[in-house]
Amino acid sequence: MSVALRRLEVRALECRFADPPAQALTGVSLTVDAGELVAIMGESGAGKSTLLRCVNGLVPSLVPAACEGEILLDGAGVLGVPVGMLAGRVAMVFQDFEAQLFSTNVRLEVAFGPAQLGVAPYEIERRVAAALARVGLTDLVARDPRALSGGQKQRLAIASILAMAPAVILFDEAATDLDPVGRQELYATLQRLRTEGLALVAVEHEIDPVLGADRLYLMRAGAIVASGPPAVLACDVDAFLACGVRPHDLAVLARRLDVELPLAVEDAVEALRRLGVSRLLPATKDAASRRPAAADGPPILEVEHLSYRYADGPGAVHDVSVAIGAGEVIALIGRNGSGKTTLAKHLNGLLRATSGTVRLDGADVATVPLDRVAQQVGYVFQNPDDQLFAATVADEIAFGPRNFGLAGDVLTTRVEEVLAAVGLAERRDADPFLLSKGERQRLAVATVLAMAPRVLILDEPTTGLDYPQQRQMLELLVRLRARGTTIVLATHSPWVVAEYAERVLLMHAGRLVFDGPLATFVADATLLQAAAFEPPPAMRLGLAFGRVTRTVDELVAALDLPTRLR
Amino acid sequence: MDTIVPYERRPGRGMRELVDMWSNTRMVVLTAMCASLYAAVLIPFMVVPLIPGLTHFRPANALPIVCSFLFGPAAAWGAAFGNLIGDFFTGLGPGDLFGFVANFLYALVPYRLWRACTTADPLPRTLGAWFLLLGIITTASMLCAATVGFGLQLLGFVPFAVLANVVLVNNLVTSALLAPLLLAVLYPRVRRARLLYGDILGAAPRAPRWRRFAGVALVVTGTGLAFVLGNLASGGWLDPSTLAALSRNLRFVVLVLPALALGILGLALL
Amino acid sequence: MALSLYIDRASPLHRRHPVAKLAAMILFFAATFLLDDPVPIAPLTVAVLVATAAAHAFPNLWRLRWIVGPVFVFTLAIWTLFYPAPAGGAAAGTAPWRFGLGMALKLETFLATGLLFLATTTVEEFAFALRSLGVPYRAGFVVTLAFRLVPVFLESALTVVDAQRCRGLDFTRGRVHQRIARYVPVIVPVFIGGLRRADRMAFALEVRGFSSGRRRTGLPRPAANAGDWLLVAVVGAAFVGYVTLWMLGTGRIVPR
Repeated sequence: MSVALRRLEVRALECRFADPPAQALTGVSLTVDAGELVAIMGESGAGKSTLLRCVNGLVPSLVPAACEGEILLDGAGVLGVPVGMLAGRVAMVFQDFEAQLFSTNVRLEVAFGPAQLGVAPYEIERRVAAALARVGLTDLVARDPRALSGGQKQRLAIASILAMAPAVILFDEAATDLDPVGRQELYATLQRLRTEGLALVAVEHEIDPVLGADRLYLMRAGAIVASGPPAVLACDVDAFLACGVRPHDLAVLARRLDVELPLAVEDAVEALRRLGVSRLLPATKDAASRRPAAADGPPILEVEHLSYRYADGPGAVHDVSVAIGAGEVIALIGRNGSGKTTLAKHLNGLLRATSGTVRLDGADVATVPLDRVAQQVGYVFQNPDDQLFAATVADEIAFGPRNFGLAGDVLTTRVEEVLAAVGLAERRDADPFLLSKGERQRLAVATVLAMAPRVLILDEPTTGLDYPQQRQMLELLVRLRARGTTIVLATHSPWVVAEYAERVLLMHAGRLVFDGPLATFVADATLLQAAAFEPPPAMRLGLAFGRVTRTVDELVAALDLPTRLR
Repeated sequence: MDTIVPYERRPGRGMRELVDMWSNTRMVVLTAMCASLYAAVLIPFMVVPLIPGLTHFRPANALPIVCSFLFGPAAAWGAAFGNLIGDFFTGLGPGDLFGFVANFLYALVPYRLWRACTTADPLPRTLGAWFLLLGIITTASMLCAATVGFGLQLLGFVPFAVLANVVLVNNLVTSALLAPLLLAVLYPRVRRARLLYGDILGAAPRAPRWRRFAGVALVVTGTGLAFVLGNLASGGWLDPSTLAALSRNLRFVVLVLPALALGILGLALL
Repeated sequence: MALSLYIDRASPLHRRHPVAKLAAMILFFAATFLLDDPVPIAPLTVAVLVATAAAHAFPNLWRLRWIVGPVFVFTLAIWTLFYPAPAGGAAAGTAPWRFGLGMALKLETFLATGLLFLATTTVEEFAFALRSLGVPYRAGFVVTLAFRLVPVFLESALTVVDAQRCRGLDFTRGRVHQRIARYVPVIVPVFIGGLRRADRMAFALEVRGFSSGRRRTGLPRPAANAGDWLLVAVVGAAFVGYVTLWMLGTGRIVPR
């Protein structure tokens, strides 16, 4: 059905934005053949999206820019060709689901593209059916796209462009906002399209899903700084770090041990055994000191038999009981729609239980005004842009405490403290909307910290950030935890859970199906499968030797290596 | 290297701009955004009816004013469609036709009058600028009120003297309080993001002085006249004997429509 | 969030061609509009209620009971008071309240007809009907897109309100102007979020060929069938009947 294409080639592409003037791409060259999946990685602002947008003509059609070099589709130059002319040949899937779905039912959504191209009505009908079958959405043809899960929405977005019979599909962080199951669905679909002969280019933040790609390009400051087969390039830990990409655990391990290790965990276990590793040392005191502190004092928050039902839609919770103590770091995990957010919103009184109670320091939150609870239990929403409105960073932080009656020097001091805590002291007079995504995310935390809460709930605080930004955010949480703040972290990111959480709450279909230490959770294969939670490689490797290792550091310290390797 | 300017830029003037913007995808999307934002803020307040079934308390009415300064023609269409979409959630009726036109004019007046009077940003710092901004908000509110009052009286739903005054007060109170606040926060940011209508469509050439002067004068007098005459005619205080031969509705049309047309003609000049 | 008034059922009205439905609605509006005596208006009210029952659309009237109820009382009251006595005519006894009743029935009929149309017509069908009547494609597209975005914005607004309430924003305190000023921390994030999304949406539209410059097509649509013609014919006949009454000068309390 696709127009056959043999090769997409980018040669020495230069791109300079006109307004405001900025060099976006410098001498970028890459090749994608039909049936290939090529991955591009790099930190925020490296030029990944700009590169994709040049290929499909969005730059310079919609974004004023000066471009030079060549973009060739089977030898024909397309650089500067208006995006409308390329539509149908070169397609793109975006990160934001809502921004690429325009219709109120699945069938019309898929028909939209071919209709714009003037395809004959009965041919459109045939293409709609075929495209939905290719992404496995045939059964949902009459649904409202809004009622689909994230993974389904992205597959619908793919079907919508497949119906236009493209030869090249560009994925601009299409997996970023998906939960683990959604990501699996997306990459399974990609794999299928690849075998069907489409040329695919994917911008990704995580190395794992693109390890099987044909080539990986690392970008930095508008240029490609390294390229090669992903499994080979992934071993270059320094290149990854220099480009702001989280390196593969096992590549880091291999470098620390100065040995060669395969990147598949099972193979790495074999390799280590061959090297003479038979067991891991028991946990050291240092690791043991990170045990939950909960049992010591009385709990801050107590949830008893909490049930809540929305008037319509998913996300309800049924009969949840949990107690949260001072200084704990808790990961709240589960699929989107499993009730994580609903539960979290009860902890600070945003939602009132249909039945059951939530107690804060022994007092039923239903009887305490929301603002009093919210002062004690801070809630950081997933999207920082859902709350930023003030003219300066400092004003933004002062808004909460001012509402609670703080003023004068006390307020100024509080704002300064918080600015320092989140590392934004230099930016106090900046416009919040001009900050980077990572800075905005930290500012959102700061606005809540300013109310000096004892419990901090964060919804997906690392989503959409690059690796250095994620690290900064997590280090902030570590510092807060050291000051005694209880942290509840709703997240889909396995390595964040592995490195930072002590206790895990797993929600599934509105029920709390697991509540216990991280070590117990990750050792239970059934639970992991139910949660679609795949521990990071360092942890899986440790587990293969019978111990829970949160990080590569812990793994290295625990490896009982023969002396010749030490 | 030559900078390639987006192929869609086509600055327009007068009423042509209102047609030309449809060929620009960004403006089309902004129109939809203004419309849905307007509707989304309208809907939750529909439970506070002022005149049941016809109008309700509308804090959203500051939005077309704000959007007008930011997105120009896209805001005008957006307000018109937004009002229609709002009615999609509470029921369509023949009055929607006038609601469409009234809201279109409501969001068309502010940016047109402002750009005719000054080249400054709509962020008043001087007394004069405040006076201008509030004057423009009043004119827009009044034209909107007169149009919708005219239409619904014509349809026989509710007297002009009742509806137009309610709409005027509602528009004025929410916009005068909220629009300057929102503009102060939003305008600089939208300008920085280069999403002002002038950035997207290209700066429109300024109309000659006489034309601007005539336009503003026509808009203001036409609007004021339509509003006063509408009130007088609907309350029965104005019923010239020369028109006695005409039917009731026709008498009302003859008295009010020319004034409304004058205001709209003024807008077309700007 | 169940916002839409469309009720997904398989009634004969649902199956009608969108243009036939739109034409029937406009004709019905016109017929209702012509007279002001409650006696000839009442059959139209009954007719639309019967059609509403046939289309399983009563839930819409119930959902909007806070409009449907007050409209009746308010219209009856205001038009009894504002009764436009014919020039030179004597005080008319029952005429004012009969006139008020007629207006109330008329408005309720309009409301019920509009709700019935929305219950049986998707927004895409509406846009299609508009296009069939000569409205440009992009204008119809804005209607469907804006319609789809309304719940997105509403959800975003609710999230923002929650986020700001967590920071102590309280709409229930203070004077009116203070309360209105508190919309700023809600409207600004919703607005800026919408703006960011609008830009991405323009990109996505372009990628889907919105500016391909080619003549647009669409999914195949069944042509109007006998049922569609019947609907238009029946409502058209009623319209002609009411025009006749109107021309004869009957059915009106206040002469035209």
